[in-house]
This record gives sequence, structure tokens and C-alpha cells, in this order.
Amino acid sequence: MFQDKDHIKFKDYQLEDFLTDEFFIQWVKNPNENTIHFWEKWIEANANKKEVVMQAASFIRSIDYREKHLMNNEVYLEVFEKIIRGNFKEVSQKKGLSTPFNWYSIFSLKKVAVFFIATFITSIFYSLVIQKPIAKEDPIQWITKINRAGIKTVLTLEDGSRVHLNSSSKITYPTRFSDSIRSVVLEGEAFFDIEKQTRPFVVDLGKAQIEVLGTTFNANNLSEEKLEVALISGKVKINDRKGNQMMLSPSEMLTIAKDGEFFKSKFDSLEITGWKDKNLVFRNDDFPTVKNKIEKWFDVEVKLAGSLRKNWAYTGSFHDETLINVLEGIKHTSEISYRLNGKKVELYN
Amino acid sequence: MSINPKKSIDPTHINLHSQEIVRIFESKSDCEIWAGFNKGDEMAFNYLYRIYAPILYQYGFQFSRDSSLIQDSIQNVFIYLRSKRGELSEVANIKGYLYRSIQREIIKNLKASTKRDQINCDALGESFQIEISPETSFIQSETNSLRKNKLQVGIDQLTSKQRKALLLFYQEELSYSEIAQIMDFKEVKTARKLIYRAIISLKEFINPAR
Repeated sequence: MFQDKDHIKFKDYQLEDFLTDEFFIQWVKNPNENTIHFWEKWIEANANKKEVVMQAASFIRSIDYREKHLMNNEVYLEVFEKIIRGNFKEVSQKKGLSTPFNWYSIFSLKKVAVFFIATFITSIFYSLVIQKPIAKEDPIQWITKINRAGIKTVLTLEDGSRVHLNSSSKITYPTRFSDSIRSVVLEGEAFFDIEKQTRPFVVDLGKAQIEVLGTTFNANNLSEEKLEVALISGKVKINDRKGNQMMLSPSEMLTIAKDGEFFKSKFDSLEITGWKDKNLVFRNDDFPTVKNKIEKWFDVEVKLAGSLRKNWAYTGSFHDETLINVLEGIKHTSEISYRLNGKKVELYN
Repeated sequence: MSINPKKSIDPTHINLHSQEIVRIFESKSDCEIWAGFNKGDEMAFNYLYRIYAPILYQYGFQFSRDSSLIQDSIQNVFIYLRSKRGELSEVANIKGYLYRSIQREIIKNLKASTKRDQINCDALGESFQIEISPETSFIQSETNSLRKNKLQVGIDQLTSKQRKALLLFYQEELSYSEIAQIMDFKEVKTARKLIYRAIISLKEFINPAR
């Protein structure tokens, strides 16, 4: 797939060629590390084709059924039971007759009823226990939490939402949220696990705003070049400064580039959110990215002595490892050694 | 990241136990899952039903709005497959295989219930309608939203065969060869041509000359 032949072939691609290429569609719909790497590099190398690629990708993503029919739980269970019981049904004979009423269908109704009652009880419990009245006396104060390189923290906000704040990041939040909105300001990267409530939770990222009701997602504007929002569960709405509004579904990531261009993609959750569980993840990362990640993670200064081959890239992941173990890991699998001197790391080959 | 429909299941169908099942099977290939089902592994069946019943239901509605007919068809396909366990042949793409099965079953049942001799799903001009979903960077500006409307008009002028192929290709992420099988083409290149021609006719709406 990644041979020169294809490279040249793609170079001459017109809109219709991208749109009829299975490999291209795979990247748009189900990107993996290889396709992401390939197409990112390809767009870099063929800037004049960027617009066509974006148009083709948008078109592919926008094709959807007009008629949508969700199978509800009742139908799902009914059909499942009939399959398990194994009675094959001749549709022609059955036409015009109503479904026979037997104890199986009563049983399935029961299950549905139990489900609703459980939901009902949970919601009562929720409203009684979780939503305690808020003390009104104390004035709202804004708190700023700054993590320098090497430090990660977990905060619990007044509404019960949890925020994992990455290193080199800053979050500002009130001691108590207002009645109508929960809002925080983020510079850097954080993972949010938001308590579901009727008042929206808004993350101000400078370049854009994220609005949610109750979800888990990762927001990253550490880099000057781009802003990323990756959704794990629930739904989020993102408004950029130009008035565009975008929605994300679970396992989708939105990237907004410096020039305001944006696109959606799938993401590798270990790569994007692994940091909050102490996973340092490299995915086909070039040297500047590896350097940046190590510097941020361990609060050290990384320097390269000598030069690496042009396509040098490193892939690996470390769970809660020391700097030395990470450097050893890199040494083992790529042609690179290290010298460690206090807070200074020198890599050489 | 694993490919596909496995992600898009409705979470209301999942309880804790089933999440485990989904997790176990998610990393397996279609071939392995199918082989497990063929060997009589009930967990594999459970997984197949969980993932594909809702998708087949949605797909079935493209042929008919008779929900009980679609339910019965899904039921019959699964009962048939369960009865043939042990003698099923290998399946490399379960979605494509099940789409072919459900389609055959629905058309058979449609024929039986309406007593019309010739029902060809593709002849039903209005089947497989496409909607241009709004959540894309297509609609960054007013001109683009105008473009989107034009594109929608262009799409509505396609034949139902072309729309079906586009949906299978882009929405369902099936390959040319799977599409050819589902649409009963003898050769894969027929599917290629069908999609290529549809794209050419839409080209001016996707990429208007500047």
C-alpha cells in the first residue's frame, strides 16, 4: 500500500479517483495508525491537493440513509426470543393475523417493565441524593490550577465532574457554578468526565467552545498548530469563533487547525486519553514529537546529538515508567542511545 | 482501532454481561467469529445478533416499510443459519453476507405477501434514499450550504441502484466485490462502473469549477 508506485498514482488523483478508491475511503471512515500517518504525510507533500482531499472526505462522510429505523428494545428482545425458540415463520401464511399472545411475549413485556421501573427508581434516587440544594451564601470565586511539565492532577469540581489535568496545562474554574451554566477555561490538555445535569457544561478553549450535558471527552489545545476534541461517550457540541457548530458522536475526534480548517476522524483512545492513566504513548512519532512528549512528561530537556535517518519514527507505549525505563525502551527498538545528566537528556546514534 | 459496525451499536441493548461479550469478540476477525458460530458457540451467536440485528433492521427498511415483515425476515435468517451450524461455509465479511441473506429473505417474503410475480428491490424507484448529513465541513459557509442543496438535488436524480451502491460503499464501508455480490453483479467491475458513473454525475456539485 505504501510503495512508491501508489505515491505517484495518488499524486495524479482527481476528485473522482479519491472517491472511488477503497484505501482512501478506509482512511476517511476508519483511520488506523498507518492510514493516518500516510495521508497526513501525503497531504503535507501535496499541498495543492489538500482541498480536493478535504472535499472528497467530506462527501464520503456526508452520505447517509434518509430512512432510519432504530430497532427498539421490545422488538430486539422479541425477535431474539423467537430465534432462540427456533420457530421458523412463513410470512405468507401469517399475513393479516396478529401476533399470537403467549407467555413468552408476556415475559418479554415484563422485562421491559422491569427496565423502566429500574430507570424510574434510579432517576428518583438521583434527584434526591445527587442534586443537593446549593448553599447560596458564599460568593463565587475563580480558582486557577496550573500544572508544570511532569505534573498531572485530578480535580473534582463542585458539580461532581472530574477533570484530569495534563502537564503544562492550566484550568480556571469557579468554586460554585451558576444555576444556568457550568463553565471552565482550559489552556492545554484535560480529560473531562462530566456529571449529567440539565445545565450545560462549557469548556472555553480560546479558539473554540465545547458544550456538553454529561459526557467523557478529551480536549487538547497544547499545540499552537491545532486543537483537538476527542469524545469517549455521550455527545458534545463544539462552536468555533467563526460561528461554525459541530457535533461529535462517541469515538469521533474533531481537529481544528490553526487556519480554522476542521475535520472529524476516528481516534486511538490509548494514544489520545492514555495519559490520564499514566500511559505514555508514541505512535509512529517523529523526533520532534518524541522529544516534546518526553520533555512534557518528565520535565526534562531533550537534545539530539548527531542526526537521525529521514524517516525515523518511534512507536511504543509505557505504563507508569521511569524516565530511564522509557529511554531504555526507545534504545532497544530504535537505533538511538541516551546520556542522562540531571534534567538533561542527550540522545545520539 | 477495529473496523466498523461494532462501534455503532445502540448502548441501550447492552448490559454489563454483554459488554464483556462484545469486548471478547471485538478484536476477532469476521472469519473467526463466523467459525465460532458455525461450531455452535452461543456467545458468538449472541454477538452476531447483538451487532447485526439492529443493522439488518435498518437495512431491511430500505426495501419495505412493513416492520413485521422485516422482523420476521431477520428472525428467519438467524433461525436458518442456526439450523445450518456445522455445515456453513467460511465468511470473510459478515455484514456483506448477512445483507445478502436478509435481502433475499425480504424479497421472498414481499413476493409471497403481495402475490406480485416480479418484485425487484432496485425497480422500486424510491428505495435507498440518501440524505447529505449536515455535520460535515461542507457547510462552512453559505455558499457551501447552497452547494449542499445542489448536491442533494443531484443525488436525488440518481437511480436507486446508484444510490444503493453509494450507501453500501460510503456508509456501510463495503468493498466493490461485496457490493457486486449484494447487487447480484457477475463482475466486480460492474460495481466499480456504477459508482464511478454516479460520482462523475455528481462531480460538478461536489467540486464546482471556480
